[in-house]
Amino acid sequence: MLRVNGLSAYYGLFQALFGIDLYVRPGETVALIGANGAGKSSLLRAVVGSIRCGRSQLHLDGKAIGGESECAQLARGIALVPEGRKLFPSLSVLENLQVAARNGRAGVWTVERVLRELPVLDQLKHRPATSLSGGQQQLVALSRALVTNPAYLLFDEVSLGLSPLAVNDVYALIRQIKNEGISILLVEQNLHRALAESDRYYCIQKGRISLAGISSEADQDQVTHAYFGVTDDRMD
Amino acid sequence: MIVWIETFINGITLGALYGLFGLGLSLSLGVMRMINIAHGDLIVLGAYLASIVMAALHCGPFTSLLIVLPVMFCIGWLLQRCLLNFVVGLDPLAPLLLTFGLSIVLQNLLQEIFTADTRSLPSGDISLAGLQLGGVSLGLLPVLTTVISVLVFAAVSLLLSRTSVGRQARAVADDLSTARLVGIDGHRFFALVTGFIMVAVSLASVLYGIRAPFSPTSGPERLLYSFEAVVLGGLGNVWGTLLGGMAIGIAQLMGAKVNASLGPFFGHLVFLVALIVRPQGLFSRAKS
Amino acid sequence: MTSFTVSSSRTATRVAGTLLLAMLLLALLAIPWLTGFSTQRLLVEAMTMFVIALAWNLLAGFGGLIAIGQHAFIGVGAYSLFFLSNSLDCAPWLLLPLATLSALAFALLSAWPMFRLSGPYFAVGTWVLAEMLRIAAQNTDVLGAGSGLSLDAMNNIDRWTRNAGSYWAALALCISAVVVARMTLRGRIGLALMSVRDSEVAATACGVSVRKAKLWIWLIAAAMTGTAGALAYINTLQVTPDASFSLNWTAAAIFIAVLGGIGTLEGPFLGTLLYFFLRESFSAYGAWYFIGLGSLAIFAMLFSPGGAWAPIKRRWDWDPLGLRRLMPTDATPTLSLKTGEAPPNMARPPQRTQ
Repeated sequence: MLRVNGLSAYYGLFQALFGIDLYVRPGETVALIGANGAGKSSLLRAVVGSIRCGRSQLHLDGKAIGGESECAQLARGIALVPEGRKLFPSLSVLENLQVAARNGRAGVWTVERVLRELPVLDQLKHRPATSLSGGQQQLVALSRALVTNPAYLLFDEVSLGLSPLAVNDVYALIRQIKNEGISILLVEQNLHRALAESDRYYCIQKGRISLAGISSEADQDQVTHAYFGVTDDRMD
Repeated sequence: MIVWIETFINGITLGALYGLFGLGLSLSLGVMRMINIAHGDLIVLGAYLASIVMAALHCGPFTSLLIVLPVMFCIGWLLQRCLLNFVVGLDPLAPLLLTFGLSIVLQNLLQEIFTADTRSLPSGDISLAGLQLGGVSLGLLPVLTTVISVLVFAAVSLLLSRTSVGRQARAVADDLSTARLVGIDGHRFFALVTGFIMVAVSLASVLYGIRAPFSPTSGPERLLYSFEAVVLGGLGNVWGTLLGGMAIGIAQLMGAKVNASLGPFFGHLVFLVALIVRPQGLFSRAKS
Repeated sequence: MTSFTVSSSRTATRVAGTLLLAMLLLALLAIPWLTGFSTQRLLVEAMTMFVIALAWNLLAGFGGLIAIGQHAFIGVGAYSLFFLSNSLDCAPWLLLPLATLSALAFALLSAWPMFRLSGPYFAVGTWVLAEMLRIAAQNTDVLGAGSGLSLDAMNNIDRWTRNAGSYWAALALCISAVVVARMTLRGRIGLALMSVRDSEVAATACGVSVRKAKLWIWLIAAAMTGTAGALAYINTLQVTPDASFSLNWTAAAIFIAVLGGIGTLEGPFLGTLLYFFLRESFSAYGAWYFIGLGSLAIFAMLFSPGGAWAPIKRRWDWDPLGLRRLMPTDATPTLSLKTGEAPPNMARPPQRTQ
């Protein structure tokens, strides 16, 4: 299980996260919901090792692993699909996958398998990665994290900037990954989608968890209030 | 007329050497976004190293490379690991000033050890041999230099486009933080790159040391020529550095024909004019 | 919403500061009557070096323009002064403003190619420029070619006046440089540059003309350096291409700025003191002295990028030149600060993240 204990993170003097507690069980899909600037990306980056945090603030299967580098976390099976896709412009689609596969863990998800499962990418594999459409790039970005064979896949902003059709394609792949037992922690701005595709959810607001629960039992009003941070008397 | 053709060709061969000087700088700038001000001094260090090895083992300059190449690789690797990795990726000030300090240290250390006298690498008959090509006489050594330089550039180009290491280098050059997300250990990789740069540098050192006398203070000028080659060629364009170097070489020698003491000046002038007219580099595909 | 004003100093500091300055000024003016020629020459050297380091620091620490080729302006200032002084047979101190103007003209001209470069490219590009000037001067007969020019106009002036004149000119330059620097940094350009230093993207989005701000600081630094260079050579009476266009000038400026603290106005002052102390104590060791200086620069970059001023600032929280902007406490944002924590110092050098 991936567990976050009282995680606090800073950018210089600015504190982005204030004592976050959350967990992801093996095989679960957990959604992180919140407005822009709430701290969702910061949380994912802290878990994957891009931002420093305290050693005991992150546990994997009982072992404290907080504050280690991205390479170390990747070797443990924690991978991140970054916000905005961030494909390497100088590399082709195939090369983007190859670079990640070389440094990731061995496992069932190889570059060949990805290209077999996603024929649309197979056709485009020699094209410069950034010349693809937004949806296709998102598939490549997801695949790039996938070929490192993670146990916990973190996905920052699944549907941001994508057309509805493209979003469906991405979630189809996510469901397939889920069925193979990979745990997923995803950030999704679309409330409905987030709750529909996840088992549990957390709302984050101004660097703090404001609400948590089971997605199928989520109260829309409660979630909306937790998302926007408005209380009843202010809405009048 | 023949004289001008010979000068032009000599400019190309000199420029091939400048391109080789610039290759290390180009890689350093591309992958690590950093200029090593001590780059020229490291070229001179390589030449002195070759000189010691040749004297100790009584061998030729190219044989000395068997020892010089691995030693320089280690020097580069250690330099990156122990010093430069601490300032890489921060604001440009820290690496610039650190390598500036390094340049001063290197120059003065070399002066303490080897005195300020100039020396060159004895190369025996090679430096005297020549060939005739259609009425134009060329030295064997310059032609050899050009061939070696082109081969090195070809090797680097292939390395970058076909190998796993090359892919990683391109990924890092594109976006270091995302490269780290896919498992590339930035600092270890940089050490590898710097080590490799020093290997290229040592080749350039030996070719340079045979061709011209050097002294502890010869470094800064080599840096300037390397830099001009890189900028003229277009940033991020590996082959461009070779062509840029040739442009500088031609400018320098043609200029020297006009006025013997103004050779380097014309090189600088061409650099300046190119900067004004086409700032993205003469051979860059990018728009301004 | 209450309105508030942003102030730059407290009254007590201002009064005390003014008194202290006045006393110091009187003492400094009296130096030619109080000390010998060699001390005066050393002081002139120190003061011109201070101004050059100040200029470099303005460029690099505030303008983000690291100019390894700053010594170009020294040669331009010195040569133009010598040339004009000899041609017009005029006392050199009167022509100092013309040296400043030549440096300014050259700065304006060189900005055109140089500003196409940025960061480390700009740094080495300016170096190329300086090299060009050196070779050009070396091959121009009217400038004396390799042997340079000597200041003939000084031949008719007695030694005491020569030394005192140079000293007072250097003192005037020193004071005006600090005043100009302070005015610039406290004014719109300074604010623009500090905003660019914190975040160029945000600054541009707010409408800050980054290019204009950088050009201004380039011109100001050039003026300071050119005048200082001219003065430094008035002090020595002879200018040569290799000496006046030598990298050693910029190297010394860099060391001073690094030792004292880049991005601060107090840094160059502290740095100059440290530099001359080190020089007087250790330059007898020849190459090892330079190895020591270089190593010091390396250590500073690794362990204390804020120079010697940073720990002083942390310990005693001084701001003698009034560069910081103090926010009144009722305007302190409460959202993302822990209770009891001070607001961020807006004049601090760039933060390292990660």
